[in-house]
Amino acid sequence: MTGPVNEPPAGERAVRHLLDAVTLPCGADVDPLLEQVADGHAADLDAHQRDCVHCQAAIAEFAALWAPVAEAAASPVPAPPGLTAAVMSQIRVLVRDVWYTLQTTNLGFIRIAARIVAALARDTARTVPGVRVAFGRSTHSKIAALTERATFGHRHPHAAVGVLGRTAVVDLAVAVTYGDPVHEVARDIQQRVIATLRNQVGLQTVAVNVTVDDIFTDDDR
Amino acid sequence: MEPEPAVGDGYLVARARDGYLDAYEMLVQRHSAMAYRVALRLCGNHHDAQDIAQDALIAAWQNLARFRADSSFSTWLYQIVTRRALNKVTRGRGADLVDLLDEAADPVTGPAAQAERNLAVDAVTDALAALPFAQRTVVVLHHFEGLSYAEVAEVTRSSVPAVRSHLFRARRTLGVKLEEWR
Repeated sequence: MTGPVNEPPAGERAVRHLLDAVTLPCGADVDPLLEQVADGHAADLDAHQRDCVHCQAAIAEFAALWAPVAEAAASPVPAPPGLTAAVMSQIRVLVRDVWYTLQTTNLGFIRIAARIVAALARDTARTVPGVRVAFGRSTHSKIAALTERATFGHRHPHAAVGVLGRTAVVDLAVAVTYGDPVHEVARDIQQRVIATLRNQVGLQTVAVNVTVDDIFTDDDR
Repeated sequence: MEPEPAVGDGYLVARARDGYLDAYEMLVQRHSAMAYRVALRLCGNHHDAQDIAQDALIAAWQNLARFRADSSFSTWLYQIVTRRALNKVTRGRGADLVDLLDEAADPVTGPAAQAERNLAVDAVTDALAALPFAQRTVVVLHHFEGLSYAEVAEVTRSSVPAVRSHLFRARRTLGVKLEEWR
């Protein structure tokens, strides 16, 4: 930085000269001018700038210089496909997502991942009117402990559901919309989830624990 | 798939801490593009950026218990991504973000080759890669991600005056590079 610009050279080196300077001939600092332009406020001239040819010229030069940066910043960079799936599959390995035996047939075992049962329960809960969002997870009830023993000691601390044979215990965390009778929504969730797990997975005995932990108004949307 | 309900990140973080993995999955869906985008702009190539984004999102889940409720999830993720990008770029030298400011330029070689980008945007990518890491970080967070000076300071564990001063220097360096290209 070489101090004030006394006679800014014309032509293509003008910007370089500005960038090497600390202040303009009018006394204005260069850095705040570049900041003003880079933050998108080139047109917001203050009282001094409105009357100052040096400031106006510098702002115009900086605006042209910075345009490609603004353009680059505005160009979208999508996430690579599969990134979310890759992250979640590694996390599921970390929590040791296990498979639960549901049925033994004369053709062999039918096993369905506990997280699939939880996902079915969650997606069913989301179809109930008044439900804003629902998540499914394991239960730490006795049956979950039994399940862990029954599955040969596999530990599953964040299991989405406890499944033992054809019996399941599902925990659902639910946020509902303000105005709907909460107990009726919860009851509706239990009935629909039980029906879904019976019909789609063949689980005969299902306990569905519903925790309503937030209420959203339409303003939250 | 039904439209995504508008629940806040704080709610999702709380559910994820309770063991609801699908709540965390929703957070990942919301923020994976940001994690990748920031990593790409900081390290300059797709493969490293993908690794950084993936590692950062897994590390965030592993450390959910340490997440401070008075912070925002995105600020926290910005922190993890920038730290990991720094480690990748400096190959684990482990220097502090702010300390790096006084080091020599640490240019990233081989910026992402994206055919659809026009020449001006390519010039910006090259100019960005030529900045020292700390200056690149504040430029990416403020001018590309739109974070305020206070937010950048929180992410980089720095102060607002320090961020502003880094930006002053970074803009001049970027300006000189862009002027050479014009």
